[in-house]
Amino acid sequence: MVKPSNSHAILQMVLHWTLAAAILFLFVSSWWMLSLPLPSDDYTYRVVPFQLHKNIGITLFLIILVMICLRWVRRLQQNAAARSALQTLADIDQWLIYALVAACCSSGYLSSSYSGWNTEFWWLIQLPAWARENDGLNILFSDLHQWSCWLLLLAIVLHIAAAIYHGLRDDALLPKMFP
Amino acid sequence: MTKIMQHAPVSGAGFGAIIVLFGLLAFAGHGSEFLKQVVLAPGSSAELGIAPDCRADELDEENLTVLECQLLVSNVQMQLASSPHWFRTVQLLLSGVGMVVALGSLPVGFAFVHNRLPMIKSGITCFGLLLALDLIGLIGAASTGPLLRAQYLWPLFLWLNIHLCLLLANWHYVRGDSLEQNN
Repeated sequence: MVKPSNSHAILQMVLHWTLAAAILFLFVSSWWMLSLPLPSDDYTYRVVPFQLHKNIGITLFLIILVMICLRWVRRLQQNAAARSALQTLADIDQWLIYALVAACCSSGYLSSSYSGWNTEFWWLIQLPAWARENDGLNILFSDLHQWSCWLLLLAIVLHIAAAIYHGLRDDALLPKMFP
Repeated sequence: MTKIMQHAPVSGAGFGAIIVLFGLLAFAGHGSEFLKQVVLAPGSSAELGIAPDCRADELDEENLTVLECQLLVSNVQMQLASSPHWFRTVQLLLSGVGMVVALGSLPVGFAFVHNRLPMIKSGITCFGLLLALDLIGLIGAASTGPLLRAQYLWPLFLWLNIHLCLLLANWHYVRGDSLEQNN
């Protein structure tokens, strides 16, 4: 039987690695899929990749919400012990990644809403249209999506560098996030 | 040199983190290729030569010129026209299997972090498989025309070398551990 705190940690790990695989897939696939022909009645190449991109993005947003809740609960359970500068930096990086993932997902979803395209979550649930088609707002949120994603990529590179640094130092920090 | 090696060995945890990183990147690459081959089916509109609809609002939104918009269609035409009949099936198969094996390499990375030897040993099979997939992909891409070769050969060659390094490092680690146990 897994203790509640352990089950939290396991869930956090599963979500962390799901998030990592999904984010990298979204980056790599989006670099390619933007080279597909613009959508029209005849050219529908973008339909499946963009719908998949939105499905994964919305799922990531939900995962991030769960991860924030889990982290908040864990923080409440922990004693307010003094934290080193490196630990504070790691916390900042973690929260920055959470915030940037949320920003990427929400700006992408809003851009799609203002573009007039429907979103069918995993081809099962038709999400309501929040707004009418608006080119200006579509471009604004599209730009926000793009810039928040570049910032996220930068934060992820820092996160990976920190993980490899701790791994090479073998300072017993990695086993906490590696199942 | 020997002195440096003695004082700065690459830790299992560090190697594990690197394995996980490359596993995730390989998964993303294979997943993206799989999606590409699903979408770019032969006989689709680009191959029929239908003129693209380059609307001003779409061009503005994507920050594209009319020429670039037309070239997006040419890009698909190029991909379809230069693919031999077997290419799509082979790529779907290689990328599908590649996604699974790349995900399978993650537990190997985790095992290095926790020093779990049985799982570390299975890394040899895992990286061997990834290396074989890269090699088949490389031979396949080399058998196509210059357009696909230009697109595929370099990344495949890069991955082949990465997986070769991971395989050899894994084998060396397992061998070193066995020798240590025997001594």
